[in-house]
Amino acid sequence: MTSPPPNAPGPAAPMRPAGPFGHARAPGPAGTSRPASRASCDGKQHAADRAERVLWGAGRHSGGRAVAVLVCSVASALAALAEPAVLGRSLDLLLARDPGASRWVTLCAALIAAEVVLDALVALLTGTVNARSTAWLRQRALARLLTASPHHAARFAPGDLATRLTANATEAGTVPATAAGAAAALLPPLGALVALLLIDLWTAAAFLAGAPLLVLLLRSFARTSSGTVSRYQRAQSAMADRLVEALAGARTIAAAGTVVREQRRVLATLPELAAEGRTMWLVYGRAVARSGVLMPLLVCVVLAVGGARLASGALDVGDLVAASRYASLAAGIGAVAGVLGALVRGRTAARRTAELLALPAVPHGRGALPAGGTGTLELRGVTVLRDGKPVLRGVDLLVPGGATAAVVGRSGAGKSLLAAVAGRLVDPDEGSVLLDGVPLDSVEPGQLRREVGHAFARPALFGTTVGDTIAFGTDVPAPGAVRSAARAAGADGFVTRLPYGYDTPLADAPLSGGELQRLGLARAFAHAGRLLILDDAMSGLDTVTQRQVERALAHDVRPGTRLVVAHRLSSAARADLVVWLDGGRVRAAGPHRTLWRDPAYRAVFATAGAADA
Amino acid sequence: MTERRVLAEGRRFLLRRKRDLVRLAAWSLLESAHTFLGGYGVARALDDGFLAGRTGTGLLWLAVAAAGTLLGGFAVRGVFGGLAGLVEPLRDGLVRRAVSQALAAAVADPARAESAAGGTAVSRLTHQTEIARDSFAGLVLTARSFVFTALGALLGMASLEPALTLVVLPPLLLGLAMFLATLAPMAAVQRAFLDADEALSARVGAVGAGLRDVVACGGERHVTADVGRLIDAEARLSRRLARWAAVRTLALGAAGRLPVIALLLATPWLLRRGVTAGTLLGALTYLIQALLPALDALMTALGTAGTRLLVVLERFTAAPSELPARPERPASIKSAVLLRPTPPAAELRGVSFAYGPGARPVLDGLDLVLHPGEHLAVVGPSGIGKSTLTALLAGLLAPTGGTVAVAGVPALLPQQAYVFTGTVLDNLRYLRPDATPAQVRQTVDALGLAPLLQRLGGPDAVIAPGRLSQGERQLLALGRAYLSPAPLLLLDEATCHLDPDTEERTERALAARPGTLIVVAHRISSALRADRVLVLDGDRAQCAPHGELLARSALYRDLVGLWHPDAA
Repeated sequence: MTSPPPNAPGPAAPMRPAGPFGHARAPGPAGTSRPASRASCDGKQHAADRAERVLWGAGRHSGGRAVAVLVCSVASALAALAEPAVLGRSLDLLLARDPGASRWVTLCAALIAAEVVLDALVALLTGTVNARSTAWLRQRALARLLTASPHHAARFAPGDLATRLTANATEAGTVPATAAGAAAALLPPLGALVALLLIDLWTAAAFLAGAPLLVLLLRSFARTSSGTVSRYQRAQSAMADRLVEALAGARTIAAAGTVVREQRRVLATLPELAAEGRTMWLVYGRAVARSGVLMPLLVCVVLAVGGARLASGALDVGDLVAASRYASLAAGIGAVAGVLGALVRGRTAARRTAELLALPAVPHGRGALPAGGTGTLELRGVTVLRDGKPVLRGVDLLVPGGATAAVVGRSGAGKSLLAAVAGRLVDPDEGSVLLDGVPLDSVEPGQLRREVGHAFARPALFGTTVGDTIAFGTDVPAPGAVRSAARAAGADGFVTRLPYGYDTPLADAPLSGGELQRLGLARAFAHAGRLLILDDAMSGLDTVTQRQVERALAHDVRPGTRLVVAHRLSSAARADLVVWLDGGRVRAAGPHRTLWRDPAYRAVFATAGAADA
Repeated sequence: MTERRVLAEGRRFLLRRKRDLVRLAAWSLLESAHTFLGGYGVARALDDGFLAGRTGTGLLWLAVAAAGTLLGGFAVRGVFGGLAGLVEPLRDGLVRRAVSQALAAAVADPARAESAAGGTAVSRLTHQTEIARDSFAGLVLTARSFVFTALGALLGMASLEPALTLVVLPPLLLGLAMFLATLAPMAAVQRAFLDADEALSARVGAVGAGLRDVVACGGERHVTADVGRLIDAEARLSRRLARWAAVRTLALGAAGRLPVIALLLATPWLLRRGVTAGTLLGALTYLIQALLPALDALMTALGTAGTRLLVVLERFTAAPSELPARPERPASIKSAVLLRPTPPAAELRGVSFAYGPGARPVLDGLDLVLHPGEHLAVVGPSGIGKSTLTALLAGLLAPTGGTVAVAGVPALLPQQAYVFTGTVLDNLRYLRPDATPAQVRQTVDALGLAPLLQRLGGPDAVIAPGRLSQGERQLLALGRAYLSPAPLLLLDEATCHLDPDTEERTERALAARPGTLIVVAHRISSALRADRVLVLDGDRAQCAPHGELLARSALYRDLVGLWHPDAA
């Protein structure tokens, strides 16, 4: 935990199989859409059930509208089915100059108009239901994410989380409306087939004989193109890799003036990309050409049989019109596959979003800490398991109120985990943690966070401006408090050197690791309660600055208990109490001077001291 | 503003590709012929064949229509060839632009580029160019298909019976006008929607990366409200989009279906003019089988892909002034100081630097003269301006006040060593591409790089930078600096990942190399080895040999004392 590996800037940009147009997604962030993470222990079936439940919930949320989608799309489908027959009949009557024709023409016009209006309504309702369902899913997933333990939520990478809450939620949100409309999607092709049979058995037979070809010939695309697509993506990610490399070396390139050379290097695989890209279009074009000729040819076959029947007097012109129209409606059976595909995709997406809802919520009590408590921290038999193995085992610890305790040990000894347990960022699997005699899990969450503060080695900052990031927390401190906390954390100096000081937008402030740490410290100082936990929070500070911050922490920040995870000898030497962790156990606890006699204790600093100067 | 620039550039792009456009149009004309034959064949089959009792003739005309269909399929293959000729150059151009813009921005503001780790640049290079490629192809395909299908259908109707066009055109044009009127407002909503989606995604990503901090600060309620607002804003926009989608469906209905109604209503009049049943069936075929699907595809593509393409292209079309400018290199010393017997290696006169007009200066009135061959160490607390100093000397930053003059082009080695995918030799020769094998060998010997080279597989082995440790990367970069012809080397904590012994060896080798050396010290030992030490202390700066500074600077004493592990 002490030095997590830096996030590799992998160019894992989400790359869809390029080619077919119109499927482009909204330009999202470089959120790496990972393959669905390992199914949790409750199994796949469980996950599917959960997705189902979530989707039902979303559907109920817009129940009335979803029913309206169903009704309107069924009505529109019925109108579409009636239209060819009415059109054919109108044409027959018109050709026969029958005075009754005008009634049929009016009916036909009304059907067409109804169809158009109903389709518009379906579009409106579908869009609305999608928007409502998506927002509902997002709000629920977000709420659960924020009530879960950060340790549990950490199995979702940030980019992955973003994908689950944006693209996946959007896709899942289309399920209720799509499901409502799916029944109606089956009506036109099936109804058209029945109508074809009713008009003339021979034309229906012609259609049925030609249709299987449709399925056979539509299949050829995926097979031929996958090799090209993967070569295309390889060329693309090679460029991305080289660009990331070059950007990480921006200073060197800028100073050496080698931009043009770098550009050539990054673009080296562009010709390959272009060649594969052209091949992709040609392959795709062949598939489109094949599938594009099918429906017209099918209609031609139906017309040929129908024409022969017309010549023999078995059919009217109107029947022929209707038959050709029904043939193309029936050939639209492929669209049903599209609807089903959308439903399957939506459910898969829902499963990914629903995995967030499966995060266990952290229970909270309503208890209060005793007023005026000094922050006595006590750990009783604390054991924490990770992957079934104990990382902290039976830790007993008492830090008197107002004291500063340093936690030391080799990396992997469990220092950060101890700090997290002490501030209830993680609940122990066994044992309990008490603050001023009250178990942490019984304390009302608002008070808990007001009274227990954290600062980290790599803090994540929230807020628009640099000042906002220090003020972020349960309560908003006064501007004066923000400034003095920053001063105590040694941050005031560099913040005032930023273009707009504390009002500099965070996005415009290039901060080094040490500067980030100091903002994180300032945030903790500005909200300091009776217990302050500093988890390696000064590792990026030089020794002089660290000394200054420690002095300010002693004099200028609200007094209370401090738990400090530290690598430096000086931090341990200045603490009232040192907790020496070794392999998840407390090996010894006491004043630094006493522990120093043990060579094994001194060895802890021998390795740490060499690494940081 | 940017929109206009995109359109102007788009026009230029298309004008440069006249040949591909002509090719596309030629194949598309073949598609028109397919449409034409489809309706015409059906009409003739009925009139001259089936209705006249000549089944054979009827089948023959239907065969003509079927042949037209096959011809259409053939044309589609050609169309895609032409399409590739148009779409791939666009993607190539965007890829080139993404790379050059990312590199230009990185060079102008290296610190930000290095901390951003390429996130947006990669998304632009891969994801956004693909969106542009797909949307552009979709637009070209459907717009062209609609135009040429409409052409074929209208020609077909005109040749069957000119009056048909009179009946069909007005409602078609009305629907199209309705649709065109929805384009601009719908595009605006769509753009707002894409922006909202991106903002939401970025915010959720940030929350995901900092969940521990949110919980530790008790900021859950704040974050819920904040992200909730973004979710609601996006939902509102997507409901507005739904309303526009309904309007678009009405427009599609008007353009595609009103002509059918108009045809039915006009049938008695047409029949009186001698129009036959076959002609009517042909007209219906044109309307329902050809125009309606083409219209449908066009509206879908224009409604979504069009806006997406515009939004993406706008990002690639930043005005030249929007790109940050790179400062001029510092004045060359030769022109600045001609009269002195030995010109200094670098000279700073009253140099100040601040990151903004309201910001406190990082450096204030700094004077420093470096003699050729000198070895200077820079020390001071973190954030005091040591890296700023090297950036000023390297010409990456321009001073806010005062002058910086440097003899020749210096070489800067930042803390994060730059190693790229390429051979070991190319990496070493980065700053001197024409280095001789003997010079390379001498570098390897002087810095003791032989074991590293062996580990990497020899000078001609290709390096995967991700596989190298930070220390190995720094060693390679130091070798590169040694080999470079630069008269001034700037090491900005460039040895921080090396162990003390290796650090000493490389620093001594670099100091022995002809030329001037400035080392921003990571360990105090670096200062002990230097000829002079510059202590930066906020407002004041002192420069003197180590022993003298110990006597003069309290901060330096503090630094030396604290740096030493045993001093605690």
